[in-house]
Amino acid sequence: MSQKRILLVDDDPDLRLTLRLPLEAVGYEVVEANSFSQGQKAVKEVKPDLIVLDVMMDTATAGFQFALDLHSPDPDSEFSEFRETPIIMLTAIHSTTPLRFSPDDDFLPVNVFLEKPVEPDILLEKVREFLGD
Amino acid sequence: MVTPSDSKFGGEPPDIRHSGRRGLVEAELVSSVAWLIRLRWIAGVGVIISTWLVGVLFNLQAPEESLYLIGASILVYNLVFFLVERQYKRASIPVSKFGQLALWQVGMDWLAMILLIHFSGGIESPAILFFVFHIINASIFFTQKTAFAFATLAIVLLTGTTVFEYFELLPHRAIVGFLDAPLYQNGLYVLTVLLFFATTCFVTAYLVSTIQERLRQREEEVLILTNNLRRLTVRLQALNQGARTVSSTLELKEVLNRLVTSTAEAMGVHACSIRLLDKSGSQLEPVAVYGLSQEYLDKGPVDPIKNPLAKKVLSGQIINIADALKSPMLQYPDEAKKEGIRSMLSAPLMGKEGPLGILRAYAIEPNRFSSEDAQFLATIAAQGSIAIENAMAYQAIESLDSAKSQFIRIVTHELRSPVSVSRSLLRTISAGYVGDVSPQQVDILNRACNRLAFLQRLIDDLLDLAAVKTAVSIKKSDELVSLDEALQKVVKRFEVPAAEKRISLDLIIKEDQEPITVMASLDEIDRIFNNLISNAVKYTPAGGNVTVKLSKADDQGEVVVEDTGIGIPEDSMQHLFEEFYRAPNAKLLVSEGTGLGLTITKDIITRLGGRLNVQSKQNEGTRFIVMLPLPSGADKSEIPDVTKFNVGKTPDRSPTGFV
Repeated sequence: MSQKRILLVDDDPDLRLTLRLPLEAVGYEVVEANSFSQGQKAVKEVKPDLIVLDVMMDTATAGFQFALDLHSPDPDSEFSEFRETPIIMLTAIHSTTPLRFSPDDDFLPVNVFLEKPVEPDILLEKVREFLGD
Repeated sequence: MVTPSDSKFGGEPPDIRHSGRRGLVEAELVSSVAWLIRLRWIAGVGVIISTWLVGVLFNLQAPEESLYLIGASILVYNLVFFLVERQYKRASIPVSKFGQLALWQVGMDWLAMILLIHFSGGIESPAILFFVFHIINASIFFTQKTAFAFATLAIVLLTGTTVFEYFELLPHRAIVGFLDAPLYQNGLYVLTVLLFFATTCFVTAYLVSTIQERLRQREEEVLILTNNLRRLTVRLQALNQGARTVSSTLELKEVLNRLVTSTAEAMGVHACSIRLLDKSGSQLEPVAVYGLSQEYLDKGPVDPIKNPLAKKVLSGQIINIADALKSPMLQYPDEAKKEGIRSMLSAPLMGKEGPLGILRAYAIEPNRFSSEDAQFLATIAAQGSIAIENAMAYQAIESLDSAKSQFIRIVTHELRSPVSVSRSLLRTISAGYVGDVSPQQVDILNRACNRLAFLQRLIDDLLDLAAVKTAVSIKKSDELVSLDEALQKVVKRFEVPAAEKRISLDLIIKEDQEPITVMASLDEIDRIFNNLISNAVKYTPAGGNVTVKLSKADDQGEVVVEDTGIGIPEDSMQHLFEEFYRAPNAKLLVSEGTGLGLTITKDIITRLGGRLNVQSKQNEGTRFIVMLPLPSGADKSEIPDVTKFNVGKTPDRSPTGFV
């Protein structure tokens, strides 16, 4: 079985480290990108099996835009081959902010939401759901 | 910009000064003519009846045929007058015709009178006295001069008749048996009677017309006063209306627009404007306009120092420009002329700390504004200044508020991220992802994690508090939230922690009770009861009870959260809702806690228009009572469908118990 590849898109290097350590510890290959543009480039280069995405980077909705582009149903989309690539989104959106999403909102192109701070065990559990061991 | 509709022009009642005095006399004449006709019927009948009485009762011999004829003639010519008058009234004939008709009537009466006197004894006739009535009539109808003329005519007629009879140029017709001896040729008697008659006539004419004149003056004054009062009332109403509409909003733009509109309408003028000083104070900007063209507004900058009119007004004076074509004070006379503005009235808008701007009324007629108008505009300006300042203050608060909440959000996010990342980093070590860790190291890492977790909760609470506090005046919750469902959800959340502590947690909703819905957001309701129930579970020792009861009390939804916990010490009660406050016994039992939960809870409840009461006894328990207003009638109409649906969805509304 080839090693599964995970792309981390987050502008916080410490957070990337937090995510990377447990993932690598259980044998996944981890690639990092520190911005959406880098992330988009990386997607095409490394062809990840799963993407972990931070919801808030440049703007409050940039993460969603990234996910929308990637999972776009448009057959001519430049990312069409990644339409099925699962996305785990990290949210720091607090309960009082009007933006409250949950994965069962069908219009959201995200598979799982994880509330920050991320518990390593929970992260691994979610990743395993998509990629297996 | 607001544009006036045509109907707004000349909103004031007609001015008495235009119709004036003549109108009053004429109106009186018209009604008096009718009154006189009614009286004359009695006079005519009276002559006939008294003639008959003289013959029958007193057995005197009078020239009855002539007297009957006079009586009948009076009735006949009165009939003619009656018909003519009715015709005049129907055809709305000008008042001058009524004057002629009155003259004719008095003339005919005079003729009838002198004939009556002649046929009832001439100078000997007791009917002479009746002339006084006619003179009174004439004095009431006409001016003093005319009254004197009629008095003179009466004297001439009587003197003429007497003289003719005296010299027997006219036959003397006496009532036989009335006097022992004829007096009509008794010179002394005749002269005396004529003298007294003349005096009576003139004095009567003088007295009556003088009194009448005074009455007319009074009436006129009353009429003018009434008109003034009416105008004042209209203005006061407009002012009141204006003040009410102006103060019913805090939007600055709206306040200014309403101010110009109500001013223009109340004063019945062509246009009205408000110019406010800009932030630098170097320019007066038109901020609200009623009835002026854009071209006029674009005429050029108005400098509050260079513009002579603006300078004066801003110093606190009310300036009335009676003729815009001639005033040297205008900075843009040509533009004003082109716009058709002839008079301008300007009043200062004075704030607490200096002038705010100028309220100005414009009229197309010169000399349009009186000193009364000036006072009126000054009153509006004074009231308006307050409204403008309030709106400005509100605007400042609003922008400050949103800036503050924006700031808090950013700061909190900035605080939250490092705490959250630090926690995750520590967790990766303690979970052994970066190599083996000793149990002691794990313990230390966990302690650090717990402290960070507390810090994070504190930040979350602060964020919540900030959100509630900054949202107070701006956002209104407009969702219908079912308390039944919200409580079930929260209670379910605490099933496990309660069970772990062996606390029985019950939700009591009466079976037959209608579901209760309030206007709020789901988050707010959740937050309120999450805090209260979490506290109850937290501060109740093992084996205790926590009861949540939902009921309807009058027009309020009432939720009681009751526990058998540690209770709140008496001296802690007054600090309970203070930020960061925690009662000493609570601290002792649970070391961690931000002391913000109840503050947030109370703030949310207050914002929803509800109340939070607390009753507690140390070591016995605490009861929190939340009262939330039910939506008003208009909203209620939507409820039945929603709630019916909800009932179907959540059939389990019986008490939820745990051991």
